[in-house]
Amino acid sequence: MKEKQQRYEALVHAFHADIYRYAYYLVRDKSTAEDIVQETFLRAWRSLDALKDEKSAKAWLITIVRRENARRFEKKQLDIVEFDETTVADDTSFADSSVHHSDMQKLLAGLALEYREPLVLQLLFGYSGEEIAQQLNLNKNTVMTRLFRARNQLRDIVSKQTEVRGHRNG
Amino acid sequence: MDELEFRRRIYADPDTTDPAVLKAAENDPEKRTFRDQMRRMNNELKQAAKMPVPDDLAHKLIWQQATNDFVQQRKKHRWYTALAASVALMVGIISTLWFVQRPANIETQALAHVVHMEKELPHSAVAVDIAQINAKLASFGGHLASSIGDVEVVNFCHLETIRSLHLILNTDQGKMSVFVIPQDKAGDLPNRFGNSQFEGTGFGLQKASVLVVGAKGANLLPLTEKVKKSIQFSA
Repeated sequence: MKEKQQRYEALVHAFHADIYRYAYYLVRDKSTAEDIVQETFLRAWRSLDALKDEKSAKAWLITIVRRENARRFEKKQLDIVEFDETTVADDTSFADSSVHHSDMQKLLAGLALEYREPLVLQLLFGYSGEEIAQQLNLNKNTVMTRLFRARNQLRDIVSKQTEVRGHRNG
Repeated sequence: MDELEFRRRIYADPDTTDPAVLKAAENDPEKRTFRDQMRRMNNELKQAAKMPVPDDLAHKLIWQQATNDFVQQRKKHRWYTALAASVALMVGIISTLWFVQRPANIETQALAHVVHMEKELPHSAVAVDIAQINAKLASFGGHLASSIGDVEVVNFCHLETIRSLHLILNTDQGKMSVFVIPQDKAGDLPNRFGNSQFEGTGFGLQKASVLVVGAKGANLLPLTEKVKKSIQFSA
């Protein structure tokens, strides 16, 4: 029992931060993300014996977060308005300063889920295209295309902002 | 590697270590510039992705697990307690019923003892002397003033739950049994009872009840009389 407790605490310390961030980028709401993380780790405690090594534990946790998110989404049955367009289209909101972290966070959160999710897996967990494909049940080419489009979109937005800023300053 | 393919690869993973991509960047300054730009953006993205996590989240997760475990254990406990309570209740009810029915069965139990008497008998037929009988009879507050015959065995036994004294005698009528039972627990004993093999008689004395059992058709009277005369109770 005590050993299990120690293993659990080690798991929490190793993964809770990135799992929370991942959940946040899925749902884009801090308190919902926290709820999902709590539920995920509760399940992890129950299945702790099955979580052998670090790699499989990480993949397992990500799977549970996704499942929990899907479950909540079904339960809600409410179509959450994607704020892709609403925030991202507002170029001027970024115009008065250089691109800060918080802006990057907004941009990242503003991507459509199909681009956002593989990109976040790559950024947070250092997953390769292959690993992302496995985790999301997609084929590798699809994943690579989505990663490409995700960064392409981000770059477009960033350069547009720089342009706007340039015009203002000039 | 053409421009488009190069860009696709860099967009998909700016940190790629693919030798073909690296070589292409090395050979073409424009490609190198593009890659470096993308790497910078990617580093910003990585930092942005590492958004702050609520300070106490780790503690919350550990605490939540501990309390959840505690609650579940308590639930289990409650379940066990409930089960134990029901079992105790059933035991109470059953033993009460048993207790209430007991007096009606006591002579049947005595007969059963007699049926198994043969097994109880020691085969070394060392006669039991009166002192031994009296030592045991003393716990019923009585003693034998005189011999009641050739006693083969004297043993405490339980009729239902009542501790009684069982004496087995050799008589000219064959083996006979005498049961001495505390009077307050014996209830009303039937004057005559029996089954296909044995018959018996019950009677009360000053401080104890007595059952005398012999083979069917045996004359119980001589032994009965002897017992009545011999057993004396201290005041």
